Amino acid sequence: MNGFAKSHLGWLLLAAALLAVPVFVKSGRWIEFIELTLFVAVLGQGWNILGGYGGQYSFGHALFFGTGAYIQALLQFKYGVSPWIAMWFAVSGGVLVGLFVGYLSFRYGLRGSYFALITLAFAEAFHVVARSFISITEGGRGVQLALNRDPDQAIALFQFTFADPFLKSYGYYYVILALLMIAYGATWWMERSRFGAQLVALRENEDAAEALGINTFRTKMAAICMSAAITSSSGIYYVQKFLFVDPAIAYGPTKSVEALFAPIIGGLGTVLGPLVGSVFIHGLSEVTREAIDAVWGARPGVDLILFGIILVLVLGFAPKGLVGLAEAAWRRVARGGKAQR
Amino acid sequence: MSNDTKATRYKLNRRGFVKGAAAGSAVAVAGIAGFPHIARAQAAVKLGVLHPVTGFLQFSGGQCRYGALMAIEEINASGGIKALGGAKLEPVLGDAQSKAEIGAAEVEKLNEAGVAAIVGAFSSGISLATTQAAAKYGIPHAVDVGVNDKIVGRGLENTFRFGPGFGVITKRGVEGLIEINKAAGNPAKRIVIVHENTTPFGSYMAGLMKKGLEPAGFEVVETLPHPTPNKDFRNIALKIKEIKPDVIIPSHYYNEGVLFLRTLQRQRVSAKGIYSVLGGASSQYRFVNEFPDAARNVMDCNHWFDPGKPAALGQRKKVEAAGKSYSYEVFLAYTAVKWIADSMERAGSADRARIIEAMASSTWSGHFMPYGATRIVKGQNTGAQPLVMQVQGSEIEVIAPSGYATRKAVFPS
Repeated sequence: MNGFAKSHLGWLLLAAALLAVPVFVKSGRWIEFIELTLFVAVLGQGWNILGGYGGQYSFGHALFFGTGAYIQALLQFKYGVSPWIAMWFAVSGGVLVGLFVGYLSFRYGLRGSYFALITLAFAEAFHVVARSFISITEGGRGVQLALNRDPDQAIALFQFTFADPFLKSYGYYYVILALLMIAYGATWWMERSRFGAQLVALRENEDAAEALGINTFRTKMAAICMSAAITSSSGIYYVQKFLFVDPAIAYGPTKSVEALFAPIIGGLGTVLGPLVGSVFIHGLSEVTREAIDAVWGARPGVDLILFGIILVLVLGFAPKGLVGLAEAAWRRVARGGKAQR
Repeated sequence: MSNDTKATRYKLNRRGFVKGAAAGSAVAVAGIAGFPHIARAQAAVKLGVLHPVTGFLQFSGGQCRYGALMAIEEINASGGIKALGGAKLEPVLGDAQSKAEIGAAEVEKLNEAGVAAIVGAFSSGISLATTQAAAKYGIPHAVDVGVNDKIVGRGLENTFRFGPGFGVITKRGVEGLIEINKAAGNPAKRIVIVHENTTPFGSYMAGLMKKGLEPAGFEVVETLPHPTPNKDFRNIALKIKEIKPDVIIPSHYYNEGVLFLRTLQRQRVSAKGIYSVLGGASSQYRFVNEFPDAARNVMDCNHWFDPGKPAALGQRKKVEAAGKSYSYEVFLAYTAVKWIADSMERAGSADRARIIEAMASSTWSGHFMPYGATRIVKGQNTGAQPLVMQVQGSEIEVIAPSGYATRKAVFPS
């Protein structure tokens, strides 16, 4: 085993395990569960780059998700553009929106809660635009893509609902897995790069970072662009899978909340945090629902109360998220081992 | 006799076991062959009941679930699916959490649970996702409420809708308004449409109503959209007050419907009539009972039962006795389940493909909706239609079309 493989054994094992999921998981229900978990993990990583590493908390990341989703859908719906070409425009559109929001916010020194509020306001503004400019966005009717029924066209049209058995079962899983690997690979690179170090430095103390010669404006702009690119790519996956997007799905608060919850629970400013958070949130949600159903029968909403209580407890007792908790536990074990020796 | 001898006496040896097992199997096989329905009756047929019972659509989703479970209970109490030897229907519940992607994920769960069919999923957005997911496995899917015509317009063989879609509802809505206006001597001309524009439901409705009303001689002076959810209608109410239209046409979900009509009442906005199309709150007994003043004389073109059918009135009593509101969600989900059960009877099987065939060729008339016998074209029941109701006193009366009317319209009010 060479040095790289040795030092990154954990990552390689995780990637191999995720690639091999279809070998072990034959259940459509669990594939769908894992897909949704990875989808939120990608959304969360998009948020984590800006919020977790850069300390710029956004309450409106649906802005990028929705822009990616709308561009992907509209280019196909209105102009018959191939989805494989549309996706590049979707990511570029997300980045442009990131540049626009970032320039307006960072140029005028908006930080902390002010930045959070302005992203929320932009998401709402885009929500209004999507509802109001009917000739461009189809308004509240949303954009419904034509369903492909021809298995031979499945790859060309990027639709796997009626593809051959393998693609039908696992096509979308590998799409979201590919996006996850790109997003996490980019974050892993960023964490080890000069840019990542500058981003963390400005998160810790922006004035001190500037005093050290870091161009904080440029660093934040780069971070918001990277964050927007990853988040808008999750919009591409959503549109190709469900073939439908409307203003509520695209720019509603749900996606913004999902995007920030996963990294906060999993661990802010860590590569693995959003994935751990997403696994925890989805796993916990499923477990609480099944447990409530088993004990009291169908009681809609009761599982959400239990889920909420557990989340509050996790946030209360693990402010650095689950990854932080695991690291602290590992350090304790390691110290204990050394002391014994 | 000692204990040891007793043990030897009842000890099971290999030869004895084989003999016993063979005899037992023979008796069982003979029994099953002689009375097939008794053996088959053991196996319940699973039916997926998928609605948004949490999230912003939880009231309507909960009502749908209640209606579907009520139908299942009745079918089971009356002997189950007779063509399947009295097999009981076993509901497998799903919660779409008011999100399309969760609805699709729930279909995967229902598929693995082995459901023969699915009924759901209240909203158009969720139904688009669930019908598509169900098509992957050839699961028959009866859409109970979702009115977007694209749900059945995509050529999915597994997808059926018993109730009417946008196109028919708006057409009948326009016809109803013309009929009521004509009967009153055509006092109404200027119209304001207020609609939600966050989901396809309100946006489609507004566009289609405008298209239908203008050629009929009405003038749509303003179209006022609002988001869902919406917590304040004061601006819209003041704008309407300024415009002074003859008729206000609202189209939104339940919560917004209640708030909008209450705001009109508080702001003392007057018009010759409020004529909603799929008004959310307008034809809901819950709203009429809780806010009778705001509901007074409100007209609504919506899903409704045939008021001449005693079965519907009996069901209403039953629902209200259980402390629930008898809303369109309840009876649409109820009839959708009954329709699936009828299709299973005719298919003589719980096989998904055979149920799909039976639903596509259905001529079911054992329901209490004003649709006549079912006639399915591309998944849509072509006889499905809405009725026009009006809140008169504490009752919701049918005022159009005349063949179903229980009272005359109070218009102008």
